[in-house]
Amino acid sequence: MSTMTTPGLLRVDPEESAYLDALENQTMFIFREAYRRFENLAMLWSIGKDSTAMLWVARKAFFGRVPFPLVHIDTTMKHPVMIEFRDQIASEWGLDLRVGTNREALDSGMGPDKGRFECCTALKTSALQRLIEQHGFKGIFLGIRRDEEGSRAKERVFSPRDRDFQWNFKDQPPELWDQFNTAYGDDTHVRIHPILHWTEMDIWRYIRREGIPVCSLYFSNGTHRYRSLGCVPCNSNFPSTASTVDQIIHELEHTTTPERAGRAQDHEKAYMMQKLRSLGYM
Amino acid sequence: MTIQNISRQPSVEPALRIVIVGHVDHGKSTLIGRLFYDTGAIPAERYDEIERTCKAQGRPFEYAYLMDALEEEREQNVTIETTQTRFRSSRRGYLIIDAPGHKEFLKNMVTGASEADAAILIVDGEEGVREQTRRHAYILALLGISQVMVTINKLDRVGFDRARFDQVAAETVHFLHSIGLTAQFLVPISARQGDNVVERSSATPWYQGPTILDALDAFSPAALDRSRPGRMPVQDVYRWDDVRRYVGRVESGTFRRGDRVRFLPSGRESRIRSIERWPEARVPAAAAGTCVGIHLEDEVYVEPGEVMSRPQDGPVPAVEVHASVFWMGRTPLSLGTRYGFKIGSADAQAEVVAIEERIDPVSLEVRQRYAEWLGESEVGRVVLRLEKPVAADTFETNPKLGRFVLVEQGVVRGGGIIRSLGMASGARSVRVIELGERLLVDPSGALIDLRSEGGDIEIAADARFLARVRAGERVALRFSGMRPFGAFLNWAWEHFIPVTFRREQEGVWVSCGAPEYASATEHYLDGPGI
Repeated sequence: MSTMTTPGLLRVDPEESAYLDALENQTMFIFREAYRRFENLAMLWSIGKDSTAMLWVARKAFFGRVPFPLVHIDTTMKHPVMIEFRDQIASEWGLDLRVGTNREALDSGMGPDKGRFECCTALKTSALQRLIEQHGFKGIFLGIRRDEEGSRAKERVFSPRDRDFQWNFKDQPPELWDQFNTAYGDDTHVRIHPILHWTEMDIWRYIRREGIPVCSLYFSNGTHRYRSLGCVPCNSNFPSTASTVDQIIHELEHTTTPERAGRAQDHEKAYMMQKLRSLGYM
Repeated sequence: MTIQNISRQPSVEPALRIVIVGHVDHGKSTLIGRLFYDTGAIPAERYDEIERTCKAQGRPFEYAYLMDALEEEREQNVTIETTQTRFRSSRRGYLIIDAPGHKEFLKNMVTGASEADAAILIVDGEEGVREQTRRHAYILALLGISQVMVTINKLDRVGFDRARFDQVAAETVHFLHSIGLTAQFLVPISARQGDNVVERSSATPWYQGPTILDALDAFSPAALDRSRPGRMPVQDVYRWDDVRRYVGRVESGTFRRGDRVRFLPSGRESRIRSIERWPEARVPAAAAGTCVGIHLEDEVYVEPGEVMSRPQDGPVPAVEVHASVFWMGRTPLSLGTRYGFKIGSADAQAEVVAIEERIDPVSLEVRQRYAEWLGESEVGRVVLRLEKPVAADTFETNPKLGRFVLVEQGVVRGGGIIRSLGMASGARSVRVIELGERLLVDPSGALIDLRSEGGDIEIAADARFLARVRAGERVALRFSGMRPFGAFLNWAWEHFIPVTFRREQEGVWVSCGAPEYASATEHYLDGPGI
């Protein structure tokens, strides 16, 4: 199975194109604003469709280069084709890739059987926290979207985390007219969300227009496909025959199932995602 | 329109962004939930999840839960943060920005409303107009949102009584008029029951107007600023591989290859050699909304924060800003204090030199003239002095470069709309005369002698000088020519400073700062005075 799939037929509807241009321009603006304001930036790349599309816009914002490192938090439980895809893209696009893994937790036997909340916190949140401390990153680009899930809907574009990595969602400063809050103390880092305003459908339409390569797991293997990618034990596929980007878009236009239905950590208990995120989860 | 027409259509017409505002508990979240439910925008799983949560808490199905995603919000039954969610009518897509109603959440409301094309102001039919109804409406007016619909909610609780609807509607419209807003629609609803939200209600046979959804369909997206003069704030300058790119987003107008351009406030000029939009090395033009890289024919030194325009219709290199400011900081905005000032891509320091009016955003009464401070959630007419010239427009001529934020300790605490601007020197060789610096004390009192000044001058004064004059201290000035005197009168006019003058052979004698115009006049008519 090929790890990369580039959409075939390129259809450009002028209205759709103008709409996607607006989304893309806003994201470029955010990238450039962060690059201007912060010394030590990195971008979290989950290998999924969102952060891959976001990476594509970063290349547009910086004229073909990506002037900051990419961080992949590898729980070692990712689908093997994701890792293949990652390494292939990283070499083709000349990316500075840094991989972060919480070895200690893995060595002591951490896994979803210890509880999904505990596992996500140890293997993702803590691994990210260590990597940020190790490299002294002051700003992290994250490909989250408002329409994904409730607590993400409440995010700001520039969202500070305190020394203990926590998100104070009850007292966020105002953000207006694209004048972002970009000055923070040294004991904090800022999460920057360049595609917060995009929807799942926007991402797929953009992938179609631009011909962005995405991991093959999003396409049907004949009977099933993945809609959102994560770790193998907590990530389920669903019955689908959509094997091209056009077919995926058609399928999404007619579904009423939420995007993250196949992500077990969202459904473990009430407000799990809010709790994970207030501790620093993506 | 019938409900069957409403579906998740694949059209990509840009969504209309709506903000829903109003007093706490007047039904904002319920209205949004109802719109989602009735247009089929809620995925089945989300609906089930909310139904389960409500059942567990022993409550009827709560539409508000669709928006209130955070645990605290559900426990307290209030929306805390701005949220965005989408639904569709048969005509187009909508992006709803739910702006929380609590007083302490004003900053969230402003964050949400600043992105909106149109607004729904919701008023409880039982309670009528309340404090936050007025406050929010005032913020809409300040943010320049002109497409506004009023809906009177909870009419099921008053038996869909037409008289009650008329009474609350009249009260709301009256207030809106007083702040320069017009409601395009007045819709009687019960958000909980769904009357006149998406489906026409049989409970209001006396109402012939549109439902909420029909009324929304009549609004139009905010137009892009393509017809205004060209402006591109320079966001950054990338010097890579011996290539210098001036990057930014075109905020208004269109720039083309070959255009002669001027950067302000520096005044440097060049010509556009090419416009780059990767992967395309050369595009013919960049219109409003586009992020580009500009290559110039000359290697001019331009800093981030400058604004690229055409030489004939550029912005103003401003040193003084007269603005309507809304303040969201916990500590008051105070006279004589310096704040960060961000406009376009520029950063500067601004000193508050006057708070000409402190306005109660609820009653709209002027609480105080020439105030010392502006409290949290208050609005005021403020004069700011910039430490260095910054390119700006008035809000009326170019909204994108006519609005700014005030920053305190790195955090945005206030926003402002520019009413008028004081020019910097340089651009039109205007000389700025600082009154405080020219103050002499002679035997007859405070004197400023400007007889040696001529040509284009501009008068300015710091907070201390203004405070002294306003406190009633009288200052005498001497001018030899009409133009410097005219510049002084402009300054006095802008700051509401009383002035009397006497024309004489060798020039003009002026007195300013007298507390009472009448007594000052008397004084001058009676004797030689100064």
